[in-house]
Amino acid sequence: MITNERMDNVFHALAHENRRRILDELRNAPGISVGRLASNFDVSRIAVMNHLAVLEAAGLIVSERDGRTRRLYLNVVPIQMIYDRWTDDYSGYFASRLTAIKYAAEGAEKKEGKND
Amino acid sequence: MIENQNTVEKAIYKININAPIEKVWSELVKTDAVLPFFFGAVCRTPDELGVGAPVAMETPDGKHRRVVGEVLAFEPPHRYAHTFKFTGYEDRPCTVTYELTETENGVEFSLITTNVPAGTKTEKGMAQGGPFIVRTFKSVVETGKAPLGARAMLFMFSLMAPFTPKASRSENWDFAKIQTLGA
Repeated sequence: MITNERMDNVFHALAHENRRRILDELRNAPGISVGRLASNFDVSRIAVMNHLAVLEAAGLIVSERDGRTRRLYLNVVPIQMIYDRWTDDYSGYFASRLTAIKYAAEGAEKKEGKND
Repeated sequence: MIENQNTVEKAIYKININAPIEKVWSELVKTDAVLPFFFGAVCRTPDELGVGAPVAMETPDGKHRRVVGEVLAFEPPHRYAHTFKFTGYEDRPCTVTYELTETENGVEFSLITTNVPAGTKTEKGMAQGGPFIVRTFKSVVETGKAPLGARAMLFMFSLMAPFTPKASRSENWDFAKIQTLGA
């Protein structure tokens, strides 16, 4: 099971809008470079780097060196483990029915920040 | 190899497993036993796993082979890779790589998918299967069994067995044919 300390790291990492937006960007463009990612944000590159460090400590992103570029990938597994802690396939089925109705009724996109 | 342009960028699923690396490796490359983390399938290979060996993920009753492939890398206990084709879909094979790195509290286990054809059922299948495989695998290695939610899902799969497409029947995917798929 996921340790409480690790789960603290995940919730802390997710508790900031810019960090959640970084995860959106990584999902939409897996393997994006740090430079390109930073150019999508109004904050300084240093601030983005700090957010990346928090996200990486929580295991939410994986970074890989590719020559002089650092490529970033979303790792969805820690979020799945939060889900696993309180949900099972039965409650997950009905909960997702409810959210599906909500999204349909509101005309909202299920995945916020998805650019397609 | 020239990368096909219509592939999605690789995806990485990473998890920490609290077990010795040898144990993680031996669970990963187990053949002829039911693998809960691989949707209850049994990994079959004619001789033993190694580079070039064909693999088939077969239902326990032997009737279906839903996933087939060929081993591309076999470096105990750090790296294992094979091509991965869903027999029920027309899509060409993609590649799955498992990487194991020893850390101070166990093993960092990564599942990496590459060469996945974009906009296909294979892409969806990999995106849904990746998280299931790594978290179920962690539980199997650490506790000897799949988590409750995964067990419920495995039970659902067993009920779905009659609806497996004919294309996935084992007789359509003998090892000789699997080896003609190419990497």
